[in-house]
Amino acid sequence: MNTTVPSNNSPMIQLKGVRKSYGLYEVLKGIDAEVARGEVVVICGPSGSGKSTLIRTVNRLEEIGSGSIVCDGNNIHQPMPARELNLLRSRIGFVFQSFNLFPHLSAIDNIAISPIRVKGVPREAAYAKATQLLERVGLADKAHAYPGQLSGGQQQRVAIARALAMEPPVMLFDEPTSALDPEMVGEVLAVMKGLAADGMTMMCVTHEMGFARDVADRVWFIDQGQIIESAPPDEFFSRPQTTRAQRFLSDLRH
Amino acid sequence: MISDIVAIIRDYWLLLLIGQYPNGPLGGLAATLMLSVLAIAFAFPVSIALALARLSKSPFLNWPVTALVYFTRGVPLLMLILWGYFLVPLVTGANVPAFLTMLVTLVVYQGAFLSEVVRGGIVALGHGQMEAARALGHSYLGAMRYVILPQALYNVIPSIISVFVATIKDTTLGYVINVPDLTFAASQINNQLLTQPFQVFFILAAVYYVICWSLSRVAVLTERRITRRRAGTAPQPTAKSLKLAALTDQPS
Ligand SMILES: Nc1ncnc2c1ncn2[C@@H]1O[C@H](COP(=O)(O)OP(=O)(O)OP(=O)(O)O)[C@@H](O)[C@H]1O
Ligand SMILES: [Mg+2]
Repeated sequence: MNTTVPSNNSPMIQLKGVRKSYGLYEVLKGIDAEVARGEVVVICGPSGSGKSTLIRTVNRLEEIGSGSIVCDGNNIHQPMPARELNLLRSRIGFVFQSFNLFPHLSAIDNIAISPIRVKGVPREAAYAKATQLLERVGLADKAHAYPGQLSGGQQQRVAIARALAMEPPVMLFDEPTSALDPEMVGEVLAVMKGLAADGMTMMCVTHEMGFARDVADRVWFIDQGQIIESAPPDEFFSRPQTTRAQRFLSDLRH
Repeated sequence: MISDIVAIIRDYWLLLLIGQYPNGPLGGLAATLMLSVLAIAFAFPVSIALALARLSKSPFLNWPVTALVYFTRGVPLLMLILWGYFLVPLVTGANVPAFLTMLVTLVVYQGAFLSEVVRGGIVALGHGQMEAARALGHSYLGAMRYVILPQALYNVIPSIISVFVATIKDTTLGYVINVPDLTFAASQINNQLLTQPFQVFFILAAVYYVICWSLSRVAVLTERRITRRRAGTAPQPTAKSLKLAALTDQPS
């Protein structure tokens, strides 16, 4: 494996000149940015600006045109055997807007299956860990419920637990609360806050500005495929530098 | 009429059941069931392999399999059987038993049909499930096995069963290359009696109906059981209920 052993002060995620196009349309126009270990970054920006595309390049659900992405010391987009890429992916947690739980498996099976099948964790250890994780997201009583029997908020919490089961050092979230009814947003954000408090490195696309204010160390504002502002949340919210960010924030408030 | 049928069954039940065996090859209902079970048992995994090949981005897998599927679906099964029967010995010089010719032809033919059903089920599932599995580190095939196929196959159970039933019915075509199955036995009886074709072939139809109907029943029950389990309304299986299920529910 390409493990240049990461020193503790090297960034967890490092993007250098990342470009990506769909056909003639350039979605990412040269992204240079870093996420430090233990840092929580919130990514926001108008619809279609490339937020999802960016976050999906970090675990290589999307390929990039040029540039490089290093995550936890591993160069994600260099050519490598499929096995190695699978291993790298398993060390990057990803939470989808639409949950994507496996509907044919109960909550606890959803969480345990990947440690068992991907990492070869013994069943008993995997289920013990899954039970722990369900407790952590407040769903210990739903272990044997199927996704179809859970509310959106509960499904998303199971999805977070499922990602955590692989013990990734970093978690990516793509609008984890956008598909939820308003009354369920809070329970998911609370779980994410807990994660942040435990020191998890997080990269999080969200329009929940309250969450950004309370939890984020830094906000990236993306517009038309470029990060045009990167600042601590209080600075970003009180003194946005670009007119586009100003307009975006005033649109959000109204 | 009914007494004729009873008489035929009384006189010829052994022929209908096992053909000329042990003086000839195993035939009759036993051969029909064996042919059906083997054809289905092989066609099913073959269809999954074909479906995956057709979904593959590699032209080396995709292209020949697509051609095979189109070809097979466009040609009558009877043609394939006759080609297999006359051409294979001609080309290879080997003396292939009719039963084997019939089995292989059925597997290829129904496998091709079934692969389209399976592929449809996979495609209908959408990208989200595969992406979620890959994001967790599953390999493509691992994701297929543990995440995609259990859902895709379940969703197309009714279509799968139609193909299975069609397979059983198609075993009757083995008659044209002298596979000694149930149809063959019935026509032997008919040739001896000469005067009772309706009665003889009524028995034949009834037996096929019962086989196909049983298969559909098993399928419906299986589907219901999976549905109930996935909806979570079924009690968690205990060691005892599993043992009971083994006694009562297993078709084999
Ligand atoms: N597979 C694709 N093929 C072609 N164009 C795509 C594809 N995926 C995304 N795009 C385009 O790329 C641009 C960026 O998409 P992306 O999903 O990253 O935006 P986003 O910032 O996440 O938007 P939203 O807030 O609506 O989720 C959009 O214009 C979108 O239409
Ligand atoms: Mg998006």
